[in-house]
Amino acid sequence: MLKFSQSFLKSFWPEFHKHKHNVHLDSFYTFTDYRYLWFMSIFILALTALSPIGLATLIYYQLIETSVDSDLNHRTKQLTSAAKSAVTFFMEERLNALTFTVNENGYKELADNTRLTDILKNLKLGFGGLTDLSVLDADGNQVAYAGPFHLEGKNYKNQSWFEQSLKKTNFISEVFTGYRGVPHVIIAVRFAKIDGSYFILRATLDTERLMQILSSYKTGDYADIFLVNQEGILQTPSKNYGDIFATTELIFTDGSDEIEIKETTLNGKPIISGHSFISRDMIPTPFILMVVKEKAGMMQFWQNMIIKFNWIMGASVSLTIIVITFASTFMVNKLYRADKAKAETMMQMEQSQQLASIGQLAAGVAHEINNPLAVINQTAGYMKDLFSFKDEPRNDDEFAEYIDSILDAVDRCGTITRQLLGFVRQFDVKIKKINLGKLISQVLSFHKKEAEYRRINVTVSIPEPFPELETDSSKLQQILVNLINNAFQAVEEGSCLDITATQPDIKTIELVIRDTGCGIPEENLKKIHEPFFSTKKDRLGTGLGLSITYSLVKKLGGQISVQSTEGVGTSFTITLPVKIKEGGFA
Amino acid sequence: MKIILVDDEQKFVNMLAKRLALRGIEADVAYTGDEAIKKAASTAYDVAVLDIKMPGISGTQLKKKLHSLHPNLKFVFVTGHGAVDKSDEGTAENDIYLSKPMDIEFLIETIEELTQAGEFVPGSLTPQTNGRDL
Repeated sequence: MLKFSQSFLKSFWPEFHKHKHNVHLDSFYTFTDYRYLWFMSIFILALTALSPIGLATLIYYQLIETSVDSDLNHRTKQLTSAAKSAVTFFMEERLNALTFTVNENGYKELADNTRLTDILKNLKLGFGGLTDLSVLDADGNQVAYAGPFHLEGKNYKNQSWFEQSLKKTNFISEVFTGYRGVPHVIIAVRFAKIDGSYFILRATLDTERLMQILSSYKTGDYADIFLVNQEGILQTPSKNYGDIFATTELIFTDGSDEIEIKETTLNGKPIISGHSFISRDMIPTPFILMVVKEKAGMMQFWQNMIIKFNWIMGASVSLTIIVITFASTFMVNKLYRADKAKAETMMQMEQSQQLASIGQLAAGVAHEINNPLAVINQTAGYMKDLFSFKDEPRNDDEFAEYIDSILDAVDRCGTITRQLLGFVRQFDVKIKKINLGKLISQVLSFHKKEAEYRRINVTVSIPEPFPELETDSSKLQQILVNLINNAFQAVEEGSCLDITATQPDIKTIELVIRDTGCGIPEENLKKIHEPFFSTKKDRLGTGLGLSITYSLVKKLGGQISVQSTEGVGTSFTITLPVKIKEGGFA
Repeated sequence: MKIILVDDEQKFVNMLAKRLALRGIEADVAYTGDEAIKKAASTAYDVAVLDIKMPGISGTQLKKKLHSLHPNLKFVFVTGHGAVDKSDEGTAENDIYLSKPMDIEFLIETIEELTQAGEFVPGSLTPQTNGRDL
C-alpha cells in the first residue's frame, strides 16, 4: 500500500525538474524545456477551463444587477403608489365626511355650538383623526366651534388658508402650527347659504394619523416615506432630511400626478426615490409624497448571495487549478519519460548504426584480406609441394620469387588492416582538424575493389587549397560512410559517383555526393530521413542510415538536402561550417 | 579431366594450377572472363572454378555464358567474401561455394565428387573449416 501510494505520488511529482543535461543525449530529445512546457500546459489548460466560468460569472453578476435594479424600481413605484392612495383616501374620506355633514344638517344647525359638538363627537367615532370642527361665515368670523381649544369668536379673515378656502369647494392646507402651537392640517368645505353668501365648514386633522399611515408603509430600516410641500419644507418627519418643517432642497415643479422614479445618490449612498404630487381636482392637497430607498440595504440579500457565490467560485477555481497542475505534471512526466526513453534508444541506435557501418566495411575488408591470404596459401602450399613431390626440380631463383610474392601479399594485408584500424580509430576521436579529401579517400578505399568489379566510375574533386575542417571527425566520417555506402548500393554497374567539395563562403563548405543510380521516387523523398523508413525490404536495411545521417549533419551545425530523379540519379548536398561551434551539438 | 581456373588474382590461380598439375589434374588459367570464354570455346572442360568478384564480369554472369557453351560443365565458386548472397541472379542451389583461402585437398575432393557423381548432391560433402561460411 505504501509502495503503491509512493509510486502514485511520484507520477504527480515534476520529475523533469531534476533533468540532468547530457551532451550526447540532449540532441535526441524532442522537447528541450520541460519546465516551460509544464507552465504552458498549466496556463493554457487553466485559461480554457476558467475563462468560460469567469465570463459566465461576470454575465451572471450583471444580470443580477439589472434584475435587482428593475425589481427595486418596481417595488419603489408600488410602495409610492400604495402610500399615495392611502394619503389620498385619508383626505378624501374626511372631505366627504364634511360635505355629508353640511348636506345632512344645514347651516342653521351647524351654527349651533351644541349641535356642532355632537357632530364632532360622531365624526370622531366614525372616522377619527379630527381634532376640532368650526363654522365660519364669508367674513372670516368663527360662527360656531367644537373642540378642545376654545377658539370661539376668532376671526380668520386675514389668514391665507381662509382666503384660499373661500375660492374653492374643497380645501386642504399645508401642515402648520397656527394659534394652537401644534402641527395640524386644515380641511375645509365651502357651501352657499340660502341668501347666496358662502359659509365654510372647517376641520383640523392631527398630523399624527397622517404620519401613522405613512409609517405603516415603511418597510425596513432602509426606506423613508414622508410628505413635502412645493417649497421643499417637510410636512412629516423624514429619516434622511430631518424633522417636520425642516427645509430641504427637494423642489418639485412638474406638478404631475404620475409617480416618478429616480436613481441618485444621497450622502454618497446610491438610492432609489419615487415622488408624486397628491393633487386631484376634488382633493387638492399641497403635498408631495416622497419615498426614498437605500439601494445597499435593499440589495443586502443579493450581496450576501454574491459573497457566498464568490466563496464557492474561489474554491472551485482553486480546485480546478490544483487538478490542472496535477494533470499537467502527470502528462508532462509521461511525455518526459517517453521522450527520455526515445532519446536513449535513439542514442543506442546511432551507436549500433555506427557499429553496423563498421561491420559493413569489415565485410569489404575481409574480402580484400582473403585474396592476398589465398595467394599466400597457394604459394606457400606450392613451396611445400615442391618438397613433398621430390621428383620436381626446384631452384633458388624460383623460391625467391615465391617468397617475394608471399611478402607482397602480406604487405597488401598489412596495408588494409592499417587502413581499417586508422579508420576505426577515428570513431573515438572528438573535435579535431580534418583534411576532407583524405577522409573521403579513406572511405572510398574500402570500396575500391567493389568499384573496380562493378566498373563504377568514382571521381572526387576538391579544389586546392581547401580549408581544414575543425569538426567532430567521427560524425563526419560516419556521414561519409553512410552516404557513400548508400550511393554504392543505389548504383548499377557502369554508373558514376561524383563527390565534389566547394567553399561557397569563408565559413562554410559544401559537399555534393552525386550518383547516377536508381534515384528515389518522389513519394519517398520526404520520408527518407525518417527513422525506420527502408525500401530494402528483402535485404538488410534497418532504415536508420539516412535518418542518422540527417541527425549527424544537424549536430555538426550543417544542413543536408537531397535532389533525386527516379532512374536518373540522386545527389545529396551537405553544407557544413568550417569550424564547429563550441558545444554545437544543438 | 580438365578444369579451368578463372580469377583476376593472377598469382593465386597460377599457383593453384601448378599445384593441381602436381596432383595430376590438368588446369588452364584465365585472368578475365573474356579469356575464359575464349579458352572454353576451344577446349572442353569438365569443371570451371570461378572467382565471384572480378572486374567487369561477375562469376555468376560468367557461369551463364560458359554454361551455354558447355551445358555439362560443372561449377565451383570461390570468394573472398565469407558469405555469398544466394539471391544474386545466376546462382543456383547446387552450385558449390568455397571461401578463400582454401585447402587444395578440399578443392580436389570437391572437383572429384562433382565429376564422379555426375551430379552433385547438396550436403554430401563433409564440411571442413574452409568450406564453411566465415
